[in-house]
Formats: sequence, C-alpha cells, structure tokens
Amino acid sequence: MPRIRTGMDDRPHLAKGAFADQLAEELRSGRASGQPTIYEQEFPTGNLRVTVIWDRWDRLPLEERTGVILQAYEQAEGAAFRDRIALASGLTAPEAHAAGMLPVQVIAALRRDDEVTNEACQQAMLDEGASRLLGKEHPQLRFATLEEAEAARQRLIKKLPHSEQVWLITQDVGSTEGFATEEP
Amino acid sequence: MPRRLLDRCEPDSIGQFRIAARQRFNDGLALATAGQRTGAIYLWGYSAEMMVKAAYFSLIGIAPTATITWSGDLRPAILRGRQMNILWPNQGEGHNIRAWIDLLISVRAMSAGTQYSPRFGLELQRRGQRLEYLWRESLRYRKNCAYQDEVRQAREATEWILVNGKAL
Repeated sequence: MPRIRTGMDDRPHLAKGAFADQLAEELRSGRASGQPTIYEQEFPTGNLRVTVIWDRWDRLPLEERTGVILQAYEQAEGAAFRDRIALASGLTAPEAHAAGMLPVQVIAALRRDDEVTNEACQQAMLDEGASRLLGKEHPQLRFATLEEAEAARQRLIKKLPHSEQVWLITQDVGSTEGFATEEP
Repeated sequence: MPRRLLDRCEPDSIGQFRIAARQRFNDGLALATAGQRTGAIYLWGYSAEMMVKAAYFSLIGIAPTATITWSGDLRPAILRGRQMNILWPNQGEGHNIRAWIDLLISVRAMSAGTQYSPRFGLELQRRGQRLEYLWRESLRYRKNCAYQDEVRQAREATEWILVNGKAL
C-alpha cells in the first residue's frame, strides 16, 4: 500500500513581478510623499507589522498583497529583515480609512480670488498621494496623524506659491460603533 | 424524555469552540464527499473561526470552560482590534476570520513569550486571507455552487488551522 508523506509548506509565499519590483524601489527611494505610504510598526519583540497603503492594491486579493510586500522587502532589505515581519497587510486608501488608519485629511478650500486653480490643487494633492478611490472627482488626501498632514500641507504650499490659505486640515470624529450591544 | 438538541448544548467556551471546530470540519468533509461543495465551505469557515477565537481567548487568559459572551468577550476583542487599526468591517464583524487572525498575531507579537515565529504568523495570516476570499457567514443565503478548486482551497486552509491548533 502506498504510504505518502508530505510536509506542511511553511516557506514564505513571495510574489514576484512588477508590483514587488515597484514596491521594492519605493522602499529604497524613501520618498517623502506620494503613494504608497509604508507604515512599519515595531513590536517590543523586534518584530514588525508592515502596512502598505496603496491604491494600486485595488482588485488584488489580500493574500497576494502580502506576498508582494514580503517579496519587496526581501529585494530591498534582505531576507533577514523580511523575516522580522510578523504581519504584512496591503490596504487601499479606502480600506485604510475604514480601518481607522487615516483620520486626518488635507482639503483645498478654494475661494474665487485665490491665485491657484482647482486643477492645480488637485494635481498637487495627487502628487502628494491623494486617493482617487476615495473620490474620483475629488481625490482625498488622508494621513494617520496631524504631523503627517501638516508636513504635507507645507509641501503643498511650497509647490503652489500663494496657496497658504487654501489648505485646511480636518480630522474625523470618533464613530459610535462601540455602542452596539447585540451581535448582528 | 430526552432533552432537545438546543437544551443539550453548553454555553460558548474555548473548550466548546475547539471540540465543535473539529466536528464541523468533519461535517464539512461529509458534505464535500457528497458533492455539497458550498455547504462544505460554509461549515469549514466556522471551523476555522472557532479555532482562532479559541486561540485568542486562551491567549488573553480566559479559562477553557469559562462562558464567552458577545458583550463581555467578543465585542471587546473586536474593538481592541479596531483600536489596533486592523481592518475590521462592520458587516459580519463577529465572523471575520482574517481580522481575528490579524488580532491574534498582533497581540501575540507584543510579548517575546507569546510571539509566533514570523514565518508561522505569516502562514497563519495567509490562511486567513485565503478563507476571507472564499468564505462569509452570509454564504448560507447564496445558491451558487462552489468550484472544486475552491473546496480544495478552503479545506486546506481550515485543515492547516486545525492541525496547528495547539500552536495557535
């Protein structure tokens, strides 16, 4: 009688291809703005939780996103660094917003006598990493913290002279979901 | 007179979750071999979910026989996950296997004594992502028949979680 033994495949599942190459390049470049935004949260144990917010993830299953992230880290930082990653998640901006990761928003509050145009503002916001998935006509520029948003505001002012008064920072208010008491 | 099935059921607990997870897995196998593919996946999802919940509540120190309730245990765990910025949609929030797994890995990673090896954690995360792709508790409302390959994927993911149950 055949007796077939197989092991559980516990090798990291890495995704090759252009996605991983591009993300690896982003990791190496250390750009100050624009998508993707990469959060590396270090646990007290030294392990990392990596979250990559990138609208390009749209239509890619979560499992493949994780594979791309691991592959990109291996390419950019080496296998030892990759092995410190305990949790790797790829989220689009709407998903990250839904997860409560992007509560702060930079908005363009244009008035008639402002010297900059709406088109210029939108393009500058897109360059900063605004998401079209959050608003096709009105891309949203969102951040995790006020500090990140303020840094983006300063870059926008530098990019578009005479726009100091245009850029406002707003923050989401808390949700009431914690008040639910019965299982849906 | 014999007691009704529902009267014979004990309250939810880690111990009950673990036993029921294996029973539902076997129920799913019976359905799969009878060609009832969607039904099989439906049960396997719950099987995986119960194993992961049992692991989380065991990790935070709840006794195996202690009763687990929605307001006292499940809901606070979900809120904790959201506070940790885990993507946890409202729809079917109690049953989101991927989110429960993300929570389990993150909480374990906080302490050297409980952390998974990153490789094991990532493998667990991958199994959860695969199940999220295939399973929702709302599957019971759907008439579609699962593909054979989807049955295989769901079975393998659930099996892995059951096989590694003690290490979760």
